[in-house]
Amino acid sequence: MLTRIEAHKSVIGTIVVNADGIPIRTTLDNSTANQYAGLFRQLTLMARSTVRDIDPQNDLLVLRVRSKKHEILVAPENDFLLIVIQNECE
Amino acid sequence: MSDIAKEERKKRRTLVLRPSSRTINISVSGIQSTRDTNGVIGCPSRKSFSLGGGSKVLEKSALQTPRQVVRVFDEEDNDVTPQPLYQADPAAAQSKASRLFLDEISAGSASDQTTATGSFTMPFSRSIFGSSRISSQSTIESVNEEIEDTFPKRDLPINFPEVQRKRDIVKEHVTEDMLKEVTDISISETDSISLLDIPSTFVSVDADDAEATMERNNQYAELCRNRMGNDKYVDQSVQTLNGAAKNKQVQSDSIMMVDSATTVTTWDMYDSLISPEQCEELCSQELRRADCPEVGVDTSRGAERSVSVGSTASSAASSLKEVEAFGSGLNAESDLQLIMLSERFHHSLLVMERSILGNTFQPKLAAYRQLPVTHEPDSLVQPGMVEQREEDTHSPPSPAVERLWTFSCELSRGRSVHTMAWNKKNPDLLAVGYGEFGFSNQKPGLVCCWSLKNPTWPERAIQCDSAVTSLDFSSNNPSQLAVGMQDGSIAIYNVKNQESESCVLSSSECPNRHLDPVWQLRWTQQELSPTGEEEIESLFSVAADGRISKWFICRSGLDCIDLMKLKKIQTTKKKVGGTQTESVLSALTPGLCFDFHPTDSSVYLVGTWEGLVHKCSCSNNQQFLETYRKHFCPVNCITWSPLSPDVFLSCSSDWTIQLWKQDRHHPMLGFSSTQTAVCDIKWSPKWATVFGAVNEGQLAIWDLNSSLLEPIIVQPAAAGVKMKSLLFATQTDCVLVGDSDGQVAVYQLKNLSVGESSQVDILEGIIRSAAPKQL
Repeated sequence: MLTRIEAHKSVIGTIVVNADGIPIRTTLDNSTANQYAGLFRQLTLMARSTVRDIDPQNDLLVLRVRSKKHEILVAPENDFLLIVIQNECE
Repeated sequence: MSDIAKEERKKRRTLVLRPSSRTINISVSGIQSTRDTNGVIGCPSRKSFSLGGGSKVLEKSALQTPRQVVRVFDEEDNDVTPQPLYQADPAAAQSKASRLFLDEISAGSASDQTTATGSFTMPFSRSIFGSSRISSQSTIESVNEEIEDTFPKRDLPINFPEVQRKRDIVKEHVTEDMLKEVTDISISETDSISLLDIPSTFVSVDADDAEATMERNNQYAELCRNRMGNDKYVDQSVQTLNGAAKNKQVQSDSIMMVDSATTVTTWDMYDSLISPEQCEELCSQELRRADCPEVGVDTSRGAERSVSVGSTASSAASSLKEVEAFGSGLNAESDLQLIMLSERFHHSLLVMERSILGNTFQPKLAAYRQLPVTHEPDSLVQPGMVEQREEDTHSPPSPAVERLWTFSCELSRGRSVHTMAWNKKNPDLLAVGYGEFGFSNQKPGLVCCWSLKNPTWPERAIQCDSAVTSLDFSSNNPSQLAVGMQDGSIAIYNVKNQESESCVLSSSECPNRHLDPVWQLRWTQQELSPTGEEEIESLFSVAADGRISKWFICRSGLDCIDLMKLKKIQTTKKKVGGTQTESVLSALTPGLCFDFHPTDSSVYLVGTWEGLVHKCSCSNNQQFLETYRKHFCPVNCITWSPLSPDVFLSCSSDWTIQLWKQDRHHPMLGFSSTQTAVCDIKWSPKWATVFGAVNEGQLAIWDLNSSLLEPIIVQPAAAGVKMKSLLFATQTDCVLVGDSDGQVAVYQLKNLSVGESSQVDILEGIIRSAAPKQL
């Protein structure tokens, strides 16, 4: 399934980050992956905290950051972090 | 004893006279006088007297208490011996020793005082050992109380009766009868218990050795007076020696201080409060599953772990952190593996994929769901779209179909779509059956369950043994999918679980199974006539061997009973009741399609190979109710109108579509637009006058309201592709067309100039207007 996502034509790259913040599987270069991993970890923690503060039974599924150039989707979990960068759709 | 008694009486009398006397003192004095032991007399005036007695006792008595049975009498010679407060028992022997210590201490503390004090201590010891019935304790207590200022004043006469107490209850064996009998219990107030007894250093003037004490006092006073200038006495100062200080060093383990801080959040509190068991389960599962490195990683993680599990794991982790440092690469690998296999990852992937695709397909999906399409601000699509819209506004909008997207993937490419069905419960799920249909190459069939949210990959792909010819979802159990195949077998799959690829039930062992392709399957609710209310859903099938069967689940699999056998009806000869003809071939004609009446589920229509349409009933399996003749080629599809109760459509390979009414033997209307066989035909679920037909080269949408002669929308198929099947979307005005290349294209009907209502009346009107033509 991950290969399917990676093969999707508008997807620029995917990063799977483990709990330590180390990217363990990525289609981008390592430095970019590390950068993304570190930055998004903080953001997802904050976002998740926000969601759960409002309702503790709720949980964050996907965090989407749409920017001018592309859209970054982050799926946070307890053990890992899945980051997908997608180009603007046609 | 008599003189003692007299004394006592005297004392009593005197005490009676004294209004300020205290109760216990009375008793004390009484007691004291009766004993030849000393006693402290409450009245200060008589202290010396008693003291004297006490000192006498000191000299001659041993520590053992003489056990005397002393009885107290008052003036009237009533026995007013007070009951002992303290019942000596062997268990108290130990306490005696301790109390002796206490008294020795107290004695010691009073040692620098006059011997009168010492005589006071004696009564303590004596009273402690007092096992006599006279409560020696009370003597001590009374002494104490006399000293204490908190002694309550009581009137004599009131307390006097208290002293008169009954004797000890004789101990006897408690029998059953005794337990049952009613016993009266009288409760009386106990004597006050004194807890502190510091002997007084004062001696009563009337005490026995008062004279001696006074003498000693005088001596001491004189001594003090003489002391000042006397040579006999020298002042000498004494210094207390201070011991030399010595430093001693002790070493202890350094106390490590660790600063720990945490941010308290609502969810943190919720987690630790509500679901500690879940967290522990999670942790224990992970610990069990995980190898050592994982454990180390676990403990370093955040607040959601329960403390107990974390602490057990931390010990393992500390030893393994070194291992981690070495094998960081290995760690990542195992991490990856674990993550990839975990369920949560798959779920995340699913969500992610759908989000991505949602982004990509957003306009299409929005159009499908009839939501306003959002335009991105800087996208390149904008100018194109603007153009299109301009075009539309120029010309009056003509009905058209717009292709939204197609469901296709590598799995399905190259296979021909034969049948499609919507899920009854989840309108986003679509099941598509594929199969190559040439008789020469029989490839195994495939069933794919597509979700609207993911048009690029099916949610489920089930491989079947042979080409799939029909599909239907059950309404009672929405996850059950019945698949009919070319080899005549019917299988029921459960599409709920991802893992269960095998079919739940199959008819391959059933002896009655169809031996020819199952052309159509339908789950239908059947009302049980006796109960009337229960609706059982059963599976019906029509196959090329000419049988219509009703399937039910028995022990080993599916089993069927035949509802109807489609017998050949030859136009030349009429056979009533249908015995076997003399033809060599089977007398049953293949049934190609059937449809149950939308409201009366016991009536159904069957289309046959011969071109005949039979109306049958479930209760009658010998005869047809009606036969409709018009087609002379196989009837490919037959369908009741969902909105108009008596109208049905049939299409056949003779290039025509016929519209029938239930009670007429001849079709009301006939449509023909192409010169190819019409494969599939479906009514629109929303508008009664609209239906769609698919023949090999095109999709045709007819609107009876606008034109009876030709379809209003014609969508030609892509080159080289033959359109095979048709399905209307239930909630939106979209049409799904499956073709021979394995693609299912979704078209949106646009600009159909159909009114808001369901048009049933219009249809009726059209039919009625057509009726005279038939006559």
